[in-house]
Amino acid sequence: MSSTTLTQKQALAFATPAFIALLPFLGACLYILRFSLSAEKGSIDGVSLQAYRDLMTPFFGRSVWLTLKLAFVASAVVMLLAVPLAFLLTSLRSAAARRLLTVTILLPMILNLLVQAYGWILLLGPSGALNTLLKTLGLIDRPLFLLFNETGVLLGLIQTSLPLAVFPIVGAVRAVSPEHLEAASSLGAGHWRILRDVTLPLLRPPLVGAASIVFAFNASAFAIPLLLGGRRVQMMGVAIRDMISPLFNWSGAAAAGTVLILLTVLVLVVSAWLVRITTQKTGG
Amino acid sequence: MSDPHLHIESLSKSFGTVEALKDVNLTVQRGAFVCLLGPSGCGKTTLLRIIAGFEQPSSGRLLLDGSDITGLAPHRRGFGMVFQSLALFPHMSVAENIAYGLRLRKASRQEQKDRVEELLNVIELPHIADRPVSALSGGQRQRVAIARALAIRPKLFLLDEPLSALDAKLRDNMQIELRRLQQSFGVTTVLVTHDQTEAMMLADELVVLSHGVVQQSASPTEVYRHPATPFVADFIGSANLLPATVSPNRTLALLGIDTGVTVPSVTVGALRAAVRSEAISLARSTDEGATATVTFARDLGPVTEWLVQAQGHEIRVRGASHAAAPQTGDRVALQFDPDRISIFAE
Repeated sequence: MSSTTLTQKQALAFATPAFIALLPFLGACLYILRFSLSAEKGSIDGVSLQAYRDLMTPFFGRSVWLTLKLAFVASAVVMLLAVPLAFLLTSLRSAAARRLLTVTILLPMILNLLVQAYGWILLLGPSGALNTLLKTLGLIDRPLFLLFNETGVLLGLIQTSLPLAVFPIVGAVRAVSPEHLEAASSLGAGHWRILRDVTLPLLRPPLVGAASIVFAFNASAFAIPLLLGGRRVQMMGVAIRDMISPLFNWSGAAAAGTVLILLTVLVLVVSAWLVRITTQKTGG
Repeated sequence: MSDPHLHIESLSKSFGTVEALKDVNLTVQRGAFVCLLGPSGCGKTTLLRIIAGFEQPSSGRLLLDGSDITGLAPHRRGFGMVFQSLALFPHMSVAENIAYGLRLRKASRQEQKDRVEELLNVIELPHIADRPVSALSGGQRQRVAIARALAIRPKLFLLDEPLSALDAKLRDNMQIELRRLQQSFGVTTVLVTHDQTEAMMLADELVVLSHGVVQQSASPTEVYRHPATPFVADFIGSANLLPATVSPNRTLALLGIDTGVTVPSVTVGALRAAVRSEAISLARSTDEGATATVTFARDLGPVTEWLVQAQGHEIRVRGASHAAAPQTGDRVALQFDPDRISIFAE
């Protein structure tokens, strides 16, 4: 306890406003949980599992599968992009280059989502820049459909969630002790060997942490699948909205929301558990 | 018996405008244990890191067995290194740590296993192969780090203040252990330390550095008995540095006391002399000429230490404890051992 600057009591007092701000969110979660157990579709009335039973349709099953699949693929691609970018950010010597790269990576967070989506449409749409170029070059006859399908949503998810992964990894890469790397080097490991045998294993817990954040963010995505997928890519966020807006099936939407939360929590718990057992085995 | 192994040739290193090393020349004999010794910031760690290949010198060369290795990448040098933080890999077991260098050299599984077993026996920890590094005590980690570096049969064995994190008693044991290991492996060793006792205990050759300059490079006894510069005299065993005058018959006088030491006739200008605390003896005196007063005395058991005030200088004296030893407040006469005085031109 001597290493922390605040005692538990002091920290509690310090965090009280934040804690109070979180309470309504917790209340909303409980409210949704209660609504999902309602016997009525439009109001909270009675207790029934009917809303959950109604979800057992091939349509909703496909939506769950699609959501997990897209969130997983997007997270995997984001990690493949974020790790090299994080290494690049920590190895750049020029401060100006570092700032430029930081801003570039942060752009998706700074830019309005609608502007980004229209940017994608101008670039990748059926008569967009890419298709025009490929047609001019004679490489294709008919335009490639990159938007309003899974590919489009995947691109959007990757772009919006990349900054969430890069910056935590940068912090973790900076925290790796240079003596560990030099020790590997003195024992005969070249740069790529050090990366594989020492750096990445040491980074495993923060990497899984970053991947978990990205996965949770992508699994609950709503705006991106709506803007870049149209109605055709029914990720759970979109499916839930459709239950509310045209169908007024509040209890069904609440049940679907609860399923989404539970699935995401399950994935996070399993990944944290995987890190723990693999680290214990090798003795971290 | 000269068999040079590592040769450091007019090596300099600057970080920006800071000169960390200035024209270092050094020859390390095969199988020797060399200690780089100096206060923090003297350049000793930079010199070790250049030998290991983690830093490039600004100028100068490193020769190993006559061939130039200055630009060789650290992972191609084949030097085993023990780091200050030890830098054991936390995601590997003890055996995996020790075998890592052999794995990189594509040794067979059996070969790796045999070598790990052999080294665990050498460091007297035969049963810890499968333990995680986090389950080891400080002293055990120390030994594993040494075993990992020695497992690759290094051409040079480099250590950067490896014992500084251990408590005093464990450090004493490890020093003896380290010396024993080094001798049984016969490996040429360079160790960095700021602890002069440790350096004197381990080294065949001491290299004393200050402000990036090699002050003296010699055996511990030679460095202790004949310090080359006032800095060395003060840093190793903290000698008394006193202004000296030359009497008409060309003998050296300290604090007005003729020591009988003949000063070479070539020396001109002001002189300083370094005298070890144990090279001074005290005698109680009622003589009017005795101008020294004991200001502090402490009996450490076998020896007693005194602080003596004489002509505005505070002098440390150290000698065998006995019943008639001077006490605080006593007036004393000083006597210097003429064989133990080092003279420096100011």
